[in-house]
Amino acid sequence: MRWGMVIDLSKCMRCHGCIAACQVEHFLPLGITWPRLIAWEEKADELTTFPVRCNHCKDAPCVKVCVTGATQQREDGIVWIDQDKCVGCRYCIIACPYQNRTYLSKDKDTGYFPGYGLTDFEKAGKRLYPHTVGTTEKCNFCMERIDEGLSRGLTPGVDREATPACVNTCPARALTFGNLDDPDSEVRRLIRGYKGFQLHLEHDTDPSIYYIDNGHRGV
Amino acid sequence: MALRQWMVTHDWMIKPTAQTEWIERRGILVWIAEVFTSLGAGLYLVSLFFSNWWGMAAAWVIIMFLKIPLHLIYFGKPLRFWRTIIPFTSAWKTSWFTRGINFNIYFGTIVFFQLVVGYIAINVYPGTAWDGWYLGLGIAGGIFAFLVGIYSGFIMSYCKSVPFWNTAMLPIIILLTGVADGFALMLAIGLADTSVDLAAVETGSRIVLIANIIMMAAYVWNATYQSKTARYSALLLVKGALMWWFWLGVVILGMVIPLAISSLSLFAGEATIGLLITAIVLHTAGAVALKYVLLKAGVHTPLLPTLSYSHRL
Repeated sequence: MRWGMVIDLSKCMRCHGCIAACQVEHFLPLGITWPRLIAWEEKADELTTFPVRCNHCKDAPCVKVCVTGATQQREDGIVWIDQDKCVGCRYCIIACPYQNRTYLSKDKDTGYFPGYGLTDFEKAGKRLYPHTVGTTEKCNFCMERIDEGLSRGLTPGVDREATPACVNTCPARALTFGNLDDPDSEVRRLIRGYKGFQLHLEHDTDPSIYYIDNGHRGV
Repeated sequence: MALRQWMVTHDWMIKPTAQTEWIERRGILVWIAEVFTSLGAGLYLVSLFFSNWWGMAAAWVIIMFLKIPLHLIYFGKPLRFWRTIIPFTSAWKTSWFTRGINFNIYFGTIVFFQLVVGYIAINVYPGTAWDGWYLGLGIAGGIFAFLVGIYSGFIMSYCKSVPFWNTAMLPIIILLTGVADGFALMLAIGLADTSVDLAAVETGSRIVLIANIIMMAAYVWNATYQSKTARYSALLLVKGALMWWFWLGVVILGMVIPLAISSLSLFAGEATIGLLITAIVLHTAGAVALKYVLLKAGVHTPLLPTLSYSHRL
């Protein structure tokens, strides 16, 4: 089993819903986002966007370079960071060919209203999903949701309770999650049907994020 | 390029963007620590070659009290440092960073004992079995000094994400420049310690500096056709934002002038103390500049290769 995601570039409508959902799901400090939406204009009035996040590479450089073994890869392919082990050397940030890791410094965790204390939401976040300043962060494919869902007999990518928050939130259904090792899964079908591609193949990392571009991407 | 105001953009993904983690803000500590790596490891190797106890002691102090503390301060969680040490981690199997940290620890331990044994062998029981121990520990210390001097090159060259670093030449350049730094510091020690053969140090310095110039030229030349991003990095050095650091700092101050001064003895007798001090200072400035340009020119390949590479040269 290897979890992966297909992002349909032609469906993404730049609502930033995936980013907001992730922010809420993981109580992320305001200064960082795990998924990102990059945008640029190729021609006048033609905006192009690219949703990006950790690629959960099969052969992940960040796992190999990690000084303490804090960055680990599970059997289902998810790459995650044990923040209790991370020393904050930032080697993984430099080694990641996809630039999808963030160092959580103090200035990125100032609170929603600096100088006015924490909101109830932030207090709940500190309790439920503590983030450690001085360590590195990145998308973990909502592995807590996946594990909890699997323990209840649910199928990630099919059942919402077991599916990453960004996928659930996407109003255009541009994100599809599922098992890349299952030839009959929706993600496999999309990759086959629409010639899904990965980024930076030259690095031999075999990312678990595939993109399909089924149509016109401009505004 | 007029980007929509409501859209958050991440330039580092669509343009060739230099890494900042190891050179900006607290990353400056990494830069300075790497300078001390070269100075310390290089000085130890050269001192070992000339069997100079004071040089080895100075190298040990540089590594243990200047380089390692700076690296530790840089860490976001320095108190977790122990997690990088064997046997508390198995990351050394794949991570050059972990290997390097452990090389430093072994170097520090072995050379400490070597210096103690050496002091006894030289001053208390000369011509006894202590000499053998001094030599044996010196060989082990030399091996670990070599590894300390080269590992940061491997750390950088492992990063496929930064094409300018991703070449087998980089570890050799880092090691060789370290040895050249060692020769410069050996000259400094020789000004105070009359047992140092200054002519021999100058000869060694000449050879290593010439090798460095050739290696550096080959490295930059190679980068120009290695990949688009590596070429971009190389051009940053040759005619871009790092031009002054590279040409003035690395090439002229760090290589050409010290080489000229150390070559003077071939034609006009021994260089004066003033000239030697100039060479030492300039060479050390060159070492600082070299580490700066290498770290600063570490440019990531854009995630989406859509934009021009000439926007910031």
